[in-house]
Amino acid sequence: MSILGYTRSDGRVGIRNLVLILAIARGPHFVAAKICEQVRGTTYFVAGDEDGRDSDDRLTIARVHTGLGSNPNVGAVMIVCNSRTTGYPELRADVLASEIRKTGKPVEILDLEKCDGGLYGALGQGVRVARQLVVQISRQRRTSSDFGALTIGIKCGLSDATSGLAGNPVVGYAVDRLLDSGGTAFFSETTEVIGAEHILARRCHDDTVRRAFLDAVAKTEEAAKATGEDIRTINPIPANIEAGITTLEEKSLGAVAKSGHHTIQGVLRYAERPASTGLFFVDSWMSSSSLFLGYAASGAQLIIFQLGGGALHVDAALPSTSTGLVAPIFYATGNPRTSRNLKDEIDFDSSSIIEHGTLLAEVGEQLVGILSNVASGTFTKAEALLYQDPVDVYLKGPQL
Amino acid sequence: MGQRIVVLHEKDNVGTAVDDIDVADILDYGMGERRGSVTAADRIPFGFKIALVDIANGEDIVKYGEVIGSASRSIRAGELVHTQNVEGGRGRGDIPASEGTRARRRTSGKE
Repeated sequence: MSILGYTRSDGRVGIRNLVLILAIARGPHFVAAKICEQVRGTTYFVAGDEDGRDSDDRLTIARVHTGLGSNPNVGAVMIVCNSRTTGYPELRADVLASEIRKTGKPVEILDLEKCDGGLYGALGQGVRVARQLVVQISRQRRTSSDFGALTIGIKCGLSDATSGLAGNPVVGYAVDRLLDSGGTAFFSETTEVIGAEHILARRCHDDTVRRAFLDAVAKTEEAAKATGEDIRTINPIPANIEAGITTLEEKSLGAVAKSGHHTIQGVLRYAERPASTGLFFVDSWMSSSSLFLGYAASGAQLIIFQLGGGALHVDAALPSTSTGLVAPIFYATGNPRTSRNLKDEIDFDSSSIIEHGTLLAEVGEQLVGILSNVASGTFTKAEALLYQDPVDVYLKGPQL
Repeated sequence: MGQRIVVLHEKDNVGTAVDDIDVADILDYGMGERRGSVTAADRIPFGFKIALVDIANGEDIVKYGEVIGSASRSIRAGELVHTQNVEGGRGRGDIPASEGTRARRRTSGKE
């Protein structure tokens, strides 16, 4: 199995070829957003407010900036800042730029305070530079690479009984195939391994990884108990319960199937990049407004969002659009009703396992084939929309 | 359409509906060596669970061969198994730690 991608100077392979505009702080947000409206092939990221946050949260924001910039789907980066040397030390434009430049890709800094003509002069200059970068990176061609060049982030959403029966096991099959090929996969949602952690703990590479994993789960369960509430009023979310999921343990046991059967090589913080290939657990909040951003910053070129959707009765809007920013979201479902109701949104339907008893391996191979097409340039349905939902960096606070 | 309920593990005491099931529907199932039949006592919508056997109050609810919670009252074979008769045992902030994983709400706590 091979894919056609953009081999970058650091050896990693992009499946898209984007110019990323990073807005450092809110002031440059306006400029970054308007440049993107003007220039084809660009996307932008602005973090929430870093002011009054501790160094741990500021470092998380910095990891998201540098991780997105380093993602192989990004061919060039423009950082928009108020001044390249002011602000918290972790978030200075020159610090972020030098980290991203380690990948060998072009990084330009647009400093609003140094542009002639104030804000609107900066906007014109930004459009000029972004156009140059887009033309420059468009000269690169797709070439053949192994399927194992991919890093895929996975998440299940709107879980229902079909998630555990069909949808997640099929994704798990594709993850196994990716890892067999030397690739990398991320799974996460720490709350949603509670009740199934003993199964995953057996798959941890060694005691150090096992301790890190069980510690992350224990901390999350402690945080749940500290609310004083029954976790079922929080997670499973109401849509899960409406679709027949009864307890968090049941949701977790269905959710873990999406991680396949390989050894867990390590536990990553939000937006942390792994030191090797293989399967990694990311200790993170499960929200699709946050997790996909973190996956992309950790280096995922592609994201699979596996929907149950049993509580959806009409062609509702997608739960999340383009929240991977530089990494397209691929929607799958194992629920035949969701597949029919959301036919304009779903990229892959594994419901024949439930409806016709089709073998998991047969459906799984189909998924692998379609994923390699998407990695080679076929758009996902969500990707075809010129719309990006707001994103949330997963920060722990406090805000001071 | 083959079986209308799916049983995922030989140890399971619940099955999952993969069709909308009406009261008095007779449902055959198989899992490994195990074969069985249960008559629905409730409507069981697609994706919801049905008790395969009588389950006593406090007994484990088993799906995927794993414990997913415990019965909060006695459940007869064929009944809908969901939040009205099952308690989760994990991540419970509403019960004192001394009660362990057995889910019993504090009478003074919020419902």
